[in-house]
Amino acid sequence: MEEEKTDMKTTFRRTGLALVALSAAAPAWAQDPVELTFLVDNGPPSVAQAEALAAAYTELNPHVTFDIELRVGSIDGDNLVKTRLATEEMADIFLYNSGSLFQALAPTRTIVELTDQPFLDVVSDSFEAVVTADGGVYGVPIGPGFAGGIMYNRAIYDELGLEVPLTWDDFMANNAAIDEAGYVPIAQTYGDTWSAQLLVLGDYFNVEADSPGFAERYTNNEAKFATDPAALRSFERLEEAYEAGYFNEDFGAATYDDGIRMIATGEAAHYPILSLAIDPIAEQYPDAVPDIGFFAQPGDDPDKNGLTIWLPNALYVPQASENIDEAVDFLAFVASQAGCQAQIDAGQVSGPYLIEGCQLPEDVPQATRDLVPYFNDSDLNLPALEFLSPVKGPALPQLTVEVGSGIRSAAEAAAIYDEDVKKAAQQLGLPNW
Amino acid sequence: MSQTHTTFRAAEARRRWIGGAVAILVTGVVFVLPFLFALLQASKTQADASTLSFSWPTEWQLWSNLVAVIQVRDYQLLLAFFNSTVITVASVTGLVVFASMVGYILQRRQSRWNGLINFLVLAGLMIPPAVVPTIWLLQQLELFKTLHGMVLIEIAYNLSFSILLYRAFVATIPRELDEAARMDGAKPWQTFFRVIFPLLKPVTVTNIVVQSIAIFNDFVNPLYYLPGKDNVTVQLTLYNFQSQFETQYNLLFSNVLLVTIPPLIVFVFFNRQIVAGMTAGAVKG
Repeated sequence: MEEEKTDMKTTFRRTGLALVALSAAAPAWAQDPVELTFLVDNGPPSVAQAEALAAAYTELNPHVTFDIELRVGSIDGDNLVKTRLATEEMADIFLYNSGSLFQALAPTRTIVELTDQPFLDVVSDSFEAVVTADGGVYGVPIGPGFAGGIMYNRAIYDELGLEVPLTWDDFMANNAAIDEAGYVPIAQTYGDTWSAQLLVLGDYFNVEADSPGFAERYTNNEAKFATDPAALRSFERLEEAYEAGYFNEDFGAATYDDGIRMIATGEAAHYPILSLAIDPIAEQYPDAVPDIGFFAQPGDDPDKNGLTIWLPNALYVPQASENIDEAVDFLAFVASQAGCQAQIDAGQVSGPYLIEGCQLPEDVPQATRDLVPYFNDSDLNLPALEFLSPVKGPALPQLTVEVGSGIRSAAEAAAIYDEDVKKAAQQLGLPNW
Repeated sequence: MSQTHTTFRAAEARRRWIGGAVAILVTGVVFVLPFLFALLQASKTQADASTLSFSWPTEWQLWSNLVAVIQVRDYQLLLAFFNSTVITVASVTGLVVFASMVGYILQRRQSRWNGLINFLVLAGLMIPPAVVPTIWLLQQLELFKTLHGMVLIEIAYNLSFSILLYRAFVATIPRELDEAARMDGAKPWQTFFRVIFPLLKPVTVTNIVVQSIAIFNDFVNPLYYLPGKDNVTVQLTLYNFQSQFETQYNLLFSNVLLVTIPPLIVFVFFNRQIVAGMTAGAVKG
């Protein structure tokens, strides 16, 4: 017992000495081992990206290791991130949404600003815009960009000799032919209500094409879904698709997983969804991947065909971190070509990256290849409304389910949605509301 | 006469038989079917399980799924079982000891503090705890992100309910027992621990069952108060396989099976004690 105590004392003394030695060698601090904590959501792509980046960075900087922690997604995840930021218990680096959810983190008070960092030069401007608060930039992109549009089964298109439609009328004509041939023209999965919004949200490129500056006027309470004909068209298209009877029979109860199955196995020809649905297809139906393609939701004018894109999540460093320098250096790596390559090597190829000069390899899935031309030409893509305007109402999933099920007319739903966003805008304290 | 008697008894027997059959059927539908469903999904491949249909697996891979679930994220599930067990056992022990003492005193000794204490107990039930200030408090006490801090949280959050259970039950124990113990020279703590506490067994069993299920299944509190990779609890491990855009149902259900089985085994083994405890109380009252 007595011996043990002495042992303990010597250990303490030794640690003390070691600490003194450490502080004496201060200039060499960069080489002292550092463990960075890294909080990511539990989606398989996020985990794969984070692990690939951490491993690649540690290879270049052996003194830095990572402790990757997973968190739940959805509303619990949002609360968790806010709680940990408020209590200064956030990990050294964390992954979170860009756009309006990022704004809700009070970034100027909680997150390290990156505005003057040279590594931001290669980050695409459209991404920087969605991690900007009060003129400062706060995050770097992780993972590929993605899009909202129509995923389609190329085998069915080949069999029926159809072409990718550039206008809504062509699209409906294709649907008629597909219906004739006995396939489901459009898969809808209202069991997961978020998936019902895609025909409306993915239509935003067309809204902006027909009604330039809609996002800004919308934010300023000058334009409305119910009164702007171009915006109302988004709801009307959903209504038309329902009225034509092109949905799968169980559309009210089917889930996102059913949608994946229908499009991958050739039960359905179109599935309006986010392009990252190619990841679960590759996981569950690897043989179907070459048969799956993706096109932008068509509008009324074939000359104005473009894609509504979603910007990827971002990595941030909290101000409360004890390893800000190392964490920011890691962000520099993430925003570099090497970081981008590390993610591509880990098989993260569901869409193009928003880092300048980062090329996808040749053998990416067809659905990803279909996105590249849109992403490469800034005239052919536009971020979704939720990235351009902070105004988004919570009832959109329910309203689109109602329109898509014939319970409510498009005009009525658009009017109710305008009321819904009013509350959200007032909560944000926007002017003119 | 005797014939009508026989028919009557036969009818009675038939009615009982039908009643029993219905009870078994209902139990089957409510308890066995979901379990079978989970078992079937856990035996499938990912593509097969994604349809969530009540069908025979095309390919049995229950074992490899279970192994995959246990190995995921560096054997995280085993650590989670350890953490959850420690938290559950420690919190339930604390709850039983503290709540029984408080319930006993509240019921037996009338003082001017009783009103305030009753109010606080009810407030504990009615007012939802605020997360961020609680974390600040834990940080100041250096209990944040520790298992014992989590145990204290669980005790604090569940204490009110346990106190109410105990207080109601103490009322059914005759005061004469306390007085007899006193006459025999028992000190107050001896009166409680040697005379009263053993008589509280039925409600203690109820408490243990109800609270251990609640604490073992708690998701939200560990999520906020016990962050960190090494502090994971079993309910949080389910989220390794479930996210907005991708869910691996075969592994999710394998995990569900693994998480459900330990409490199930405990209850199968201790079933007799649990039932005995409850019925013993019913007779004594």
